[in-house]
Amino acid sequence: MRTPAGIGASWRREMERQAEKLFHCVHCGFCLPVCPTYLRLGDEADSPRGRLHLMRAVVEGRLGTDSGSFQEHLDLCLGCRACESVCPSGVEYGRLLEGARQAAASARPPSFLARLLARVMATPALAVPLLGAARLLRATGLPDLLARRLPAEGRWGVVRLGLGMLAATAPPDLSPGETLYGSSRPPSCEGSGTGPGPGEGGIGQGRRVALFRGCVQNGLLGHVNRATRRVLEANGFEVVEVPGQGCCGAIHAHMGDLAGARGLARRNLEAFDGAGLALGGATGAGWGAALPQHAHWWDGGGPRGGARGGGGGGGLGERARRFSERVRDVSEVLAETGLRRGGSLPLSVTYDAPCHLLHAQGIAWEPLRLLGSIPDLDLVPLPGAEECCGGAGLYALTHPDMGRRIGEDKARAVLETGAAVVATGNPGCMMQIGAWLRMTEARVAVAHPVELLDESYRRGGIYGG
Amino acid sequence: MNSAGPISPSLPPPLPEEVLADLRRAVGPRWVITDPDHLLVYEADAQTGHRGLPQAVVLPASTQEAAAVFGCLHGHGIPVIPRGAGTGLAGGAVALQGGVVVSTARMNRILELDPDNRRAVVQPGVSNSRLSAAAAAFGLHYPPDPSSQTACTLGGNVATNAGGPHCLKYGVTGRYVTGLKVVLADGEVMHLGGAGREGSLFDFVGLFVGSEGCFGLAAEIEVVLAPTPEGACTLLALFDTLESAGKAVTEILKAGLLPAALEIVDRNTILAVEASAYAAGYPTHAGAALVVEFDGYPEGLEEEVVQAEERCRAAGAWEVRRARTPEERAALWKGRKKAFGAMGRLAPDLVVQDATVPRSRLPEVLARIDGIARHHRLRIANVFHAGDGNLHPNIVFDRRDADETRRVEEAAREIMELCVAVGGTITGEHGVGLEKREYMPLVFSPGELEVLRGVKRVFDPAGLCNPGKVLPPSQEGRGGPGEGAPDEAVGGGRLPGLGGRGGEG
Repeated sequence: MRTPAGIGASWRREMERQAEKLFHCVHCGFCLPVCPTYLRLGDEADSPRGRLHLMRAVVEGRLGTDSGSFQEHLDLCLGCRACESVCPSGVEYGRLLEGARQAAASARPPSFLARLLARVMATPALAVPLLGAARLLRATGLPDLLARRLPAEGRWGVVRLGLGMLAATAPPDLSPGETLYGSSRPPSCEGSGTGPGPGEGGIGQGRRVALFRGCVQNGLLGHVNRATRRVLEANGFEVVEVPGQGCCGAIHAHMGDLAGARGLARRNLEAFDGAGLALGGATGAGWGAALPQHAHWWDGGGPRGGARGGGGGGGLGERARRFSERVRDVSEVLAETGLRRGGSLPLSVTYDAPCHLLHAQGIAWEPLRLLGSIPDLDLVPLPGAEECCGGAGLYALTHPDMGRRIGEDKARAVLETGAAVVATGNPGCMMQIGAWLRMTEARVAVAHPVELLDESYRRGGIYGG
Repeated sequence: MNSAGPISPSLPPPLPEEVLADLRRAVGPRWVITDPDHLLVYEADAQTGHRGLPQAVVLPASTQEAAAVFGCLHGHGIPVIPRGAGTGLAGGAVALQGGVVVSTARMNRILELDPDNRRAVVQPGVSNSRLSAAAAAFGLHYPPDPSSQTACTLGGNVATNAGGPHCLKYGVTGRYVTGLKVVLADGEVMHLGGAGREGSLFDFVGLFVGSEGCFGLAAEIEVVLAPTPEGACTLLALFDTLESAGKAVTEILKAGLLPAALEIVDRNTILAVEASAYAAGYPTHAGAALVVEFDGYPEGLEEEVVQAEERCRAAGAWEVRRARTPEERAALWKGRKKAFGAMGRLAPDLVVQDATVPRSRLPEVLARIDGIARHHRLRIANVFHAGDGNLHPNIVFDRRDADETRRVEEAAREIMELCVAVGGTITGEHGVGLEKREYMPLVFSPGELEVLRGVKRVFDPAGLCNPGKVLPPSQEGRGGPGEGAPDEAVGGGRLPGLGGRGGEG
């Protein structure tokens, strides 16, 4: 058999450290039926068990990290981690994948597009004006129009998808009656007024929450961040601004650039650590999952193998751990304390679970509870809500074929529910689902769950309007 | 022949280009896999002790494509190994000496669902759970429920005549398969049985079910569905010892009760499951837990449940819990059904045994298995279908420890011999595959084995369908059709012990 290529040597040491985890896989195959790529291809190399087998082959010295099969099948993984939710042996697939991707990346760099986007997102001087320009473009209505008109095939496919994603970030139209599938509930249910408020002693009792703004979200989905702030304040939280925060590094880690991810994580740690907050609130599942992982980006090692906060970390490992413990998804923050009741919002809404909320963080019920608290909102179950939408960070753009197959399936499932709005709590998912709904000519709005709560509060007069 | 050590089977020679060209024409180039690195993921099923690399993997999407693939390979004298989701626990889907693995993963459509006649026709790659989920809309379900049901395929269920916890009351796969369209070794497509033809002269369907891919590929499967019971109640009884749990099983059945399922898990299993994502709330200090499920009309359940509770307490249960809501029942069952996978938490390797013994001998056999484990200084976790005497003693170990591995092999054989000696047999539901081949002479005489070889020759005269599986090599070692390959050909560490429930059980 082959000896691993030289570049893989340091990674191999790291994988050997993780070998016990790999060996937890007993090959039972329970992960196959939840893997989006296996379901669509039927090739076991594109299943979690197959990918783990390839990783193990590298650790055992039977494959080199430059093996085309190792590269290709790890690359096609969405990183949705649905397999972790069903693994009886508790294999930490997501972590193993990050390590394996790092090795794969050192043998063959990720695509130019992926590297470019990651670089732009990590550089505010580039990202801020670019996202500003994107907002202007979005305001012209052209992206929405072109996403529905451009040809689906060939070179234009990715352009169309990009424009669809941009259009999907526009604030949703939540006016009942104007959407294609209005609720069957009579409007007379409306007007429950302010309802029992948090009182002045408040549900959140003045706890300080620092919002993580996110890079794409801050640039394109600022309305989600603003809605989150209003909703938290209405529930008695004190929302603090944390200057100096930036990209969470999730995209870099996905690509196998752990060094880059660590650099970005350090910046965030320093920004948030100084703020003395009680909780870090995330409105995006992607970074909600990434921020707690900051800790193992240090002790997980990598090229410089900084175990125990040494190496590249310099004590940052421990700080990262403390920080990680305080990060919550916004739905968790609100579900923990209970919610103030808003006004009537007679819309039929379905919910799609972001993978990094459901599978990576195990947050299943909180967003549903949040939506369920809205008077007159009709919550329709979405079959396959626990399956990835194909957005997966940059995946939809870097893997247009598979991203499209998964995205179209998701859009179809949403349409079949007959809901007027699909709610999901992650910018990548909002953009992917929104894009494919547009490209299938559907008139279904995409909203963050907090935006629906915000709208209910607005109608209930909670904001004093 | 294993220069790279026990983990690495040697690479078989590539297929001739003309064969590859034919295969690509049959299924499309995307679905013929030949890259050796890629083939690695197909080297084992869920029983990783048996390994072997195929020369290629082919993924047909239809009966016609599968027939073309079989025909092409037959023409060139190349062995063919059918494979479902690779959840089998007997090495049945492993390429022993090269050959081509034909995966049914893309043959995954439900072709017909006919609720009025309570029947369905499926392709073999449809998973067991998916059929039940599709039938649920009509108040129907597919009763055989192997513990791997979310992943395992109906084609694999047919191959192993799979059972499951509820087969105590409802019976195994063979009872539900009424017709098959099969692809024979030479690519011929044959219709066996089928709606309205159940009474035909020879029961070819019955013969084909459980043939472990040695007769051909079940390319279309017609099954009957059953109405979903209106009510169900599940009990969890906790005992200090395995023996008292075994006694409760005997008492419940003696009382004339017919539970839908009677399952026991022992303390080692409870520890593994409770540490997993499927923690079901079994107390970790219990010596054994017995799961008893009754189903039927809600009005009739209460009396049976109360009786079973009494019998459990009389046998020594110190706590009996009831799960009534679907959520409570699902949680309780998850703890049982995911037990095999959760074993990965105890040790890196696992031998999942599968044997049956007469129900009345359960307590005695369990005690003797415990003795075997002690003697060989091994950890055994027991999970089993107590109601029908189907044992799954799982031996956890680390294959990197050569001495431990040897002790596992010895213990596994002793357990098999014990089960046969008390009047049982070497497999309850996982099949023979590679795993149990060497134990076949424990239950069949040389003459009987010769008859079995003869039956195989009828379907597969050239001996190209899943060769080396099920039937041990004949004494003369002629290597004729359907006979096993020499033992050293089994790539990698030769390990005994059958598959567990993950497979088609």
